[in-house]
Amino acid sequence: MGVRLTVKMINLDPRAKIVIVLCLSTLAVFFNTPGSLLIVLIITLLLLQIFQVKYISLIYKFRRLLPVLLVLLFVQSAFTGHGQVLIAFGDVHILTTGGVSSAGCVLLRMLILFGSAMIIATSNSRDYVLALVQLKIPYEIAFMVLIALRFLPIFIQEANDTLIAMQLRGVDIKKVAWGKKIKYFTYIFSPLVSNVLIKANQLAISMEARGFRVYPRRTYLRVLKYNLLDYLITILSLSLTLAVLTLSIVR
Amino acid sequence: MAFMELLQVSFSYRGQKQLLNDINFSIHNEGITALTGPNGIGKTTLSKLMVGMLVPTTGHITLKGQDISGMTLAQIGRLVGYVFQNPEKQLFCPTVSEEISFGLQNLELPEHDVQRLVKENLPYFELEHLAQSFPLQLSEGEKRRLAIAAVLVLEPELLVLDEPTTGLDAYRKHLLGECLKKIVASERGVFMISHDNNFINRYASRILILENGRLKEHGC
Ligand SMILES: Nc1ncnc2c1ncn2[C@@H]1O[C@H](COP(=O)(O)OP(=O)(O)O)[C@@H](O)[C@H]1O
Ligand SMILES: [Mg+2]
Repeated sequence: MGVRLTVKMINLDPRAKIVIVLCLSTLAVFFNTPGSLLIVLIITLLLLQIFQVKYISLIYKFRRLLPVLLVLLFVQSAFTGHGQVLIAFGDVHILTTGGVSSAGCVLLRMLILFGSAMIIATSNSRDYVLALVQLKIPYEIAFMVLIALRFLPIFIQEANDTLIAMQLRGVDIKKVAWGKKIKYFTYIFSPLVSNVLIKANQLAISMEARGFRVYPRRTYLRVLKYNLLDYLITILSLSLTLAVLTLSIVR
Repeated sequence: MAFMELLQVSFSYRGQKQLLNDINFSIHNEGITALTGPNGIGKTTLSKLMVGMLVPTTGHITLKGQDISGMTLAQIGRLVGYVFQNPEKQLFCPTVSEEISFGLQNLELPEHDVQRLVKENLPYFELEHLAQSFPLQLSEGEKRRLAIAAVLVLEPELLVLDEPTTGLDAYRKHLLGECLKKIVASERGVFMISHDNNFINRYASRILILENGRLKEHGC
């Protein structure tokens, strides 16, 4: 039963997945107490488990955010007066419960947002194009989105190569002054932009050469169908989210 | 002491099978060493290890006796110049002359020295008429010459070139070869990856062959 559920969930219609992600992220933005956010996070992690996404590495990556969170913790504690004072230095509040809870909220929110985005990644990017097309968005635009997604890793790689080439020519990234950093950023982006333009141009030519947009309609090899499960999931997540939202607003 | 030394270096990309296996060799900052081997065997990977862009899975690489894992790319770049297989990757400035001056400015040379060196190097690489052009719009050969020029102005003691003859016509290959000779004459070493047997036989003083993850010295 467990295995079958997993298989079914992965093959969920991409549109249903988008609905789930939208619901989760709406809740993440709406809630502002650590307790309720924690519940949303647990739901997100359960969903990731069902979708068989390995989320441990995501949580591990968040350790890099810890310094930022610490700064946030102290800034919030010092400047927003609410909550009990846990540690004080003279008149300055070093740590307050208010600070702890708002830093906690930020962390939880980000975990939920990134975690739920990982649900999206369980479908092939082609399926999202199909989903967009079947939502009556013109194929040209849907296709552009696909291309952008497809080329993104390559562009990241290219930016990385440029950065390495710069360092090999004597830039010590860790020691660069801020003014120069901005200049170097433009140096990373200008080849990137020019490459994007060149690639886009080549792609457009080769696509037209292969008959793209010769006829106003095109055939699709696959057609997405909203199954019973998709409807169930969509209705369930939408109504749950709405119910929770209205309840907490009314209260 | 060897200029650069690789000791029992092995490497595999994450989640892939071992690409380089127990590589041992040393190079002095003299002569032209050529590395050949079939496509996809790991030549580029080996050269990236040599300049610290990748880190060996096991083993050590030393530069003038110092382990490069403790050096920044900027420090390595002062000693070893690297020209990418695809020179486009290392061109990022808005004009050709800025591309050449970029490294010099990082050395904090006075501005007039920078200008002088740029003026000297442009004609040497036949790029004078292109001084104000956008580097990514040059032809393949021009891009490669520019990439070499941009790295060479820093006067590294070893120049590593990944397939430098691709995209060059016979005359430009000749120019490149002569240029490499001049570099060697100024007491520097060249390490080049190449498939071009004519070019290698003509210019290389030492030939290394990479096969199945292992390195063999030609003639051994
Ligand atoms: N960044 C990378 N990640 C994973 N695999 C790579 C990467 N770069 C190269 N490879 C793989 O490593 C092998 C050797 O590549 P490379 O060193 O470029 O070979 P060569 O330069 O000898 O043609 C190839 O099979 C290639 O697909
Ligand atoms: Mg290669």
